[in-house]
Amino acid sequence: MAPAMIDPQIFDQLKSKLEEDSKVHKSLSEIIDQLETQIAYAQGLLSRIHGTPRPEYPALLQQIEVPIRKEIEQIGELSKLASNYPYYKYNYRWSRHTQDAILTVLLTAWIGGMATTTSPGELGRLLTLEQVGDIFQVPINVKDRDVFHLTTEEYLLAVTNLTDELSRLAVNAVTLGDRELAVRISSFVKDIHAGFQLLNLKNDTLRKRVDSVKYHVKKVEDVVYDLTLRNLIPSKESA
Amino acid sequence: MSGQKRDYNGVERKPHEGGQKRGGGQQKTVLVVRNEYTPMFERFRNELDQHHERREKIVKASRDITALSKKIIFALQRVRKIQQDLPNDIKKTMDGFLDQIAQLLATVAQETQGINRYRYDHQLSCMEELVEALTFAHYLKTQTLVSYDQLSADIEELARRGAASKSEQETKAQADANNDETPVPEPDQPPKHKAADAPVVSVTEQDYIYGIFDLTGEMMRFATTSTALTRSLAAADGDETSARPRTILQDMQELRSFIEMLPQKKGKSWSNKLGVLRQSVRKVELIGYGMVVRGGERAEGWVPDAEVDVDEEE
Repeated sequence: MAPAMIDPQIFDQLKSKLEEDSKVHKSLSEIIDQLETQIAYAQGLLSRIHGTPRPEYPALLQQIEVPIRKEIEQIGELSKLASNYPYYKYNYRWSRHTQDAILTVLLTAWIGGMATTTSPGELGRLLTLEQVGDIFQVPINVKDRDVFHLTTEEYLLAVTNLTDELSRLAVNAVTLGDRELAVRISSFVKDIHAGFQLLNLKNDTLRKRVDSVKYHVKKVEDVVYDLTLRNLIPSKESA
Repeated sequence: MSGQKRDYNGVERKPHEGGQKRGGGQQKTVLVVRNEYTPMFERFRNELDQHHERREKIVKASRDITALSKKIIFALQRVRKIQQDLPNDIKKTMDGFLDQIAQLLATVAQETQGINRYRYDHQLSCMEELVEALTFAHYLKTQTLVSYDQLSADIEELARRGAASKSEQETKAQADANNDETPVPEPDQPPKHKAADAPVVSVTEQDYIYGIFDLTGEMMRFATTSTALTRSLAAADGDETSARPRTILQDMQELRSFIEMLPQKKGKSWSNKLGVLRQSVRKVELIGYGMVVRGGERAEGWVPDAEVDVDEEE
């Protein structure tokens, strides 16, 4: 009698692999759901900057610390779990959320938060990927081992979201009478745009999102144009 | 400041001479206005370039491996019955394609190590196709499903072989630099010591499972042609003596329930593939039915050398 078509062992092996896979998906979902909640809360809180005059930022920054601390916790959990499995196998599950989490700390730092002993909080500060990694206490841009980390792409995508948010802030700052902030934003967004120009992008998500940065530049330039036309640019502004 | 021209390596091109700026002769003019973020973006550029280069290399090899795997499948579809030794010409064709695949695998193995295996998983869609070809070949030879472990080992071996023949060819090319002889592959030669630890491309469980899904499509095609030509459902060579030889129909039914009993994955491709699998099984079931009901009606000699009639025993 010829051997059976399917060795029962094949089935058992595959079954346990698939079961493990769906277990991983479930545990990831739990953590990601909680992370998402914290991010949404932080983003909501952060969007108050559009209606908050600059002198009141410190109070806002204090409030934002709470959800950010929770984000850090959740990302730590995620890192612990995800590092047990091939990183890029499940990366797509959380990549969007880590991007958003990075955005919340980038924006908080830009408006003067996320101060550390080595780099004090000041307006207009862009955290580097290394600094973001330090904040979340996870590795960044790992190539030599297969563990959880924040990727270059996630950081760059978050930066495109930052310029988007700042282009909105430029308009609202002027409304609140803070014309100097609009000018600062303009020069920052232009610098970032120039930076993105240095990248050789392929036709992918990053490219699409980087393409949109030029519209952010345009938005803030329009604001600065309106101000210049009416002689409303603060005099101490220098190029 | 934004319109900096670059060559294909991303290196800045020198601005054309005779620009508006006078006195550019004594000092190098840097067109890019550098700001505090420029160095950071330059680092990112290098990194992204490496990533894109690697990805492109894999995409190219993967496309070729897919095409070669399909050619193997076409060759295998010319087999008429399940037998231990594939017909010589088909075996030769298949081995030729496998050699090419081995070399291609060796070229991308380095790029798919460690964390990069899943990073470029999407680009490595050729693995699924290769699994399909190899599981099909294994089925035609043994009438069994090859296990994941066995298949992984085979494919890893293939990559090692490719690496070995590559380094062999390289040394040969150097030695025969003056000769016109084309290097003759010597299969009997023991692989170089270096090849044993050459990097390999691993097969994921998903490649394996999805390859099995596709295998059933090939089995269906094989069952259709082989039944039409031999007037019997394919069964293992020499198994005709047993009261009821296990046929390809039963094998496919078993594969179907095998897949259905596994924990089901969510997602479109799983359910799509499952739908196709069920259809393939149905088709072969109808062929089996047709053999039983109408098979005997055909005049003898309709197919020159009819062998076993499955319905004889029914």
